[in-house]
Amino acid sequence: MFAFQRGFRSFLEEEDNPAPFPVDGLEKTEFVFARLRYPMMRNGYFGRAGGSWATDYPKADRQFVQGVRRLTRIHTRSTEQVVDLDSDEIFNWPWIYSTEVGRWDLNDRQVKRLREYLLKGGFMMTDDFHGTFEWDVFIASMQRVFPDRPMVELDNKEAVFHVLYDLDERFQVPGIQMFFTGNIYENDGIEARWRGIHDEKGRLMVAICHNMDLGDAWEWADHPRYPEKYASLAYRVGVNYIIYAMTH
Amino acid sequence: MFELLFQHSPSVFAKGEFVLLGSMPVWVMVLLGLLIAGGLGWAIRARLAKAPSGVSGVRPVILWALQSTVVAVVLLLLWNPAMMVSELKPQQNIVAVLVDDSRSMSLTDDGKTLRDRAVAVLESGLLAGLEKKFQIRLYRAADTLQRIASPQELTAARPATRLGDSLKQVASESAGLPIGAVMLLSDGSDNSGGIDLDTIAELRNRRLPVHTIGFGKLKPGRDLEISDVQLAPRAMADSRLAAQVTFFQHGYAGQKAKLSLRESGKVLASQNVTLAPDGRMQTETMLFNAGTAAAKSLHFSLEPLSGEENQFNNSTTRLLNVEAGKRRILYVEGEPRWEFKFIRRAHQDDRSIQLVTMLRTTQNKIYRQDIDNPAELAEGFPGRVEELFGYHALIIGSVELGYFTSAQQELIRQFVDRRGGGLLLLAGRAALSEGGWAKSSLAELLPVSLPDRKATFHREPATASLTPAGAESLICRLVEDPARNAERWKKMPHLMDFQEIGEPKPGAAVLMDMTAGQRKLPLLVTQNYGRGRSAVMASSGTWRWQMSQPLEDQTHEMFWQQLLRWLASDTPGRVVASTPRQMLFDDGRLALTAELRDKNYLPASDARVEARILGPEGLAAQVELTPDASNPGLFHADWAAEKPGSYLAEILAKRGDEEVGRDVLTFQRQDGVAENFRTGQNRELLEKLAAQTGGRYWQMEELNKLPGEIAYSEAGITVRQAKPLWSMPAIFLFILLVKAVEWILRRRWGVV
Repeated sequence: MFAFQRGFRSFLEEEDNPAPFPVDGLEKTEFVFARLRYPMMRNGYFGRAGGSWATDYPKADRQFVQGVRRLTRIHTRSTEQVVDLDSDEIFNWPWIYSTEVGRWDLNDRQVKRLREYLLKGGFMMTDDFHGTFEWDVFIASMQRVFPDRPMVELDNKEAVFHVLYDLDERFQVPGIQMFFTGNIYENDGIEARWRGIHDEKGRLMVAICHNMDLGDAWEWADHPRYPEKYASLAYRVGVNYIIYAMTH
Repeated sequence: MFELLFQHSPSVFAKGEFVLLGSMPVWVMVLLGLLIAGGLGWAIRARLAKAPSGVSGVRPVILWALQSTVVAVVLLLLWNPAMMVSELKPQQNIVAVLVDDSRSMSLTDDGKTLRDRAVAVLESGLLAGLEKKFQIRLYRAADTLQRIASPQELTAARPATRLGDSLKQVASESAGLPIGAVMLLSDGSDNSGGIDLDTIAELRNRRLPVHTIGFGKLKPGRDLEISDVQLAPRAMADSRLAAQVTFFQHGYAGQKAKLSLRESGKVLASQNVTLAPDGRMQTETMLFNAGTAAAKSLHFSLEPLSGEENQFNNSTTRLLNVEAGKRRILYVEGEPRWEFKFIRRAHQDDRSIQLVTMLRTTQNKIYRQDIDNPAELAEGFPGRVEELFGYHALIIGSVELGYFTSAQQELIRQFVDRRGGGLLLLAGRAALSEGGWAKSSLAELLPVSLPDRKATFHREPATASLTPAGAESLICRLVEDPARNAERWKKMPHLMDFQEIGEPKPGAAVLMDMTAGQRKLPLLVTQNYGRGRSAVMASSGTWRWQMSQPLEDQTHEMFWQQLLRWLASDTPGRVVASTPRQMLFDDGRLALTAELRDKNYLPASDARVEARILGPEGLAAQVELTPDASNPGLFHADWAAEKPGSYLAEILAKRGDEEVGRDVLTFQRQDGVAENFRTGQNRELLEKLAAQTGGRYWQMEELNKLPGEIAYSEAGITVRQAKPLWSMPAIFLFILLVKAVEWILRRRWGVV
């Protein structure tokens, strides 16, 4: 609780898509893109490559924060910070991004800490999980975190869709898999679902991007075949979520 | 003894004028004296050669001086010295006898009430003695002056004492009546705050001496008394308030007593206090929540201790007007920051503050929150007086000075100085010295002298610590008990960042310091500026107090709510009504003052200001306040609250049909309460009154001389009398003494 904020942590062996380390990667900034490292179903932290927590890591993170730096006045570090729910260190990072949460497996202590984190003012964006099975896994764990708070569909009136960009026209953002499958959806997640969990004062604590893959859109925004419209929406959604997290 | 030696009373010498009644001119006496002294000197010198050896040096001079002294005294007696003194003509003058008949005279002193003691003094010869020489007018002096026929009519039941008013009335009566002197029998307690200079001046102009006789204990018995309570007359709803309760005791030093604060019977706060030594004033701070909006009567009391002689002075009342309106604070933030989010969250439960925020999310876009309407701040930071002055306080975060135009900078200065708003500057990478504020004209607003350099903002940890000023401040009070509060601050998690803000200016209050590495730097500094106030918070990392403490911990919320309330709560409106005394004890006279400002918050006098007063038993009154010719913007009115009870005055300023502003004031009249306080004899007041008017404070054992002494007065119908001094035994004793000394010296020196 009284420990100082830790510096940059590297998980080279778990990187999903390595990216060059920027020269200012250790700069001390106001905002740092914190990625949640969680235990995976059956395999603990280490599944394929690194683990589902590390999907698109760190390229997606580093490429996205370049956009955050360019598009906003947020003083942003050029590198991500990997955090976990195993210590109070997470309370030093009020924003976390978790990907493939349809595969995570939180233990009771992690559930308790995540609940505290969110109720104190932390914000979590979840992404890149698809279809019914992964949704069920996610919702089962989130109901352990917030048995008292419903998960709701976010409509266009939500402030999170207007804090910077007006995002009334949202659509499904596919992952890179569409290059191979030709589908913009995965599993049976045909329709993009924008969901969230609010606290008792109506503030969004958890932004749930289900049946979409914003992380891939950030990661492959520089790929000539990846459609600009998806990358653009993914950036704008991500930026809005960060600004919302820093204002509510 | 004095009169045995000097033949006359001390009053003759104090009031009389020394004269020589001899028919020969004084210069003859002086000349004769010089001649005789010279002759004596010549004679002594002529005989010096034949004198014994013991008479040499200074000794002949001493003998000459002693002989000359005797000659001088004899010559003075030949010129018939006397004291010329004014004396009241027997049976032609009135002596006004004023007896305090207020309830404090019903207190006992050695088993007998003060009233009974006063009656006994009057009836045991004093009145009879006076009546031999003067006509007597007996008065009951209390809340009013009333003539009575006999001391037995005194009841000691009147609710108040106004000695000044009573004496003034006697003085004015002396214009038409031959009142030669005033005699006042009292305990000296006065509910109107003492005897004013006008009354003293009037008594002196009429040369009317006031002789005083004191009653009551000079050393109080076992007692606790609340002497004062300092409390702001108004507050915002749900505010945390501090009341300074001052009290003293006799006979219970070192014991514990319970101090309580109640409102309508409900205990708002209570604490145990250890009583200070006898007679020493002791002040304790009571913290409490103002609660919901209403005019409230707060009852402060010390629980009576066993054996306490007077329990009526253990409590007192103060009024508090808890205002319903929201205070609006504008928070301008130059970049998205966690501190911004967490300040907003901390404030969210505070219904009395509306925190309007504008955040520069991108270079060209502002995100506004909690605005009243879509037009508010749509053009960015206010550029017009009426826009900015609509807020009560302003917070500027990580915003470089250059973001504001010169006109806006001047507006910010006027916002604090003239409007009376609060200004809080937060640390940040574009804030304070980093943002060029050190060299700006706004630097004078700040409570610190900002360093004139860059690289002052550090994203490094720092720990906060409470200063002595902070320990006293409501902003930093997390726990009511001061010791526990200090401990609480010691356990606070570290701050995420800090900024060097330079040295505090003289007059500024450093409420918190911080330790960063080996350095100790100011963290929170406040000061008053113009009509407003300013503060600098040298960190934007207090959000860690929220994230790094247990979920149920309210430290962060409490700190920011208290800081925001301090910032905005004292910002005045366009009409500010006030009165010097909210509690009117026995005296309903009320002085109302209203300060009126125009839209630019400049003093305005071109409006009609009236007070609509509602009082007890359906009382309603309208009073027009008149402009103060010498102070623009000030309006005054005098009014009298005739009935005891609570009053509410709404002061309304109008220009034609347009309402300029309004304010609400509460006051209360209590009768018969003040008499229970300061129940010991106020000898100081009685002595001063006597000394300033040419009278005397009389001890009980001297009262038999009073009828004779009181005659020496210049008021009424007087006659000038010469009191001869030649026959004073003291003079003859003096001559004898001088001659005896001379004889003894001569014997010793062998000159006899």
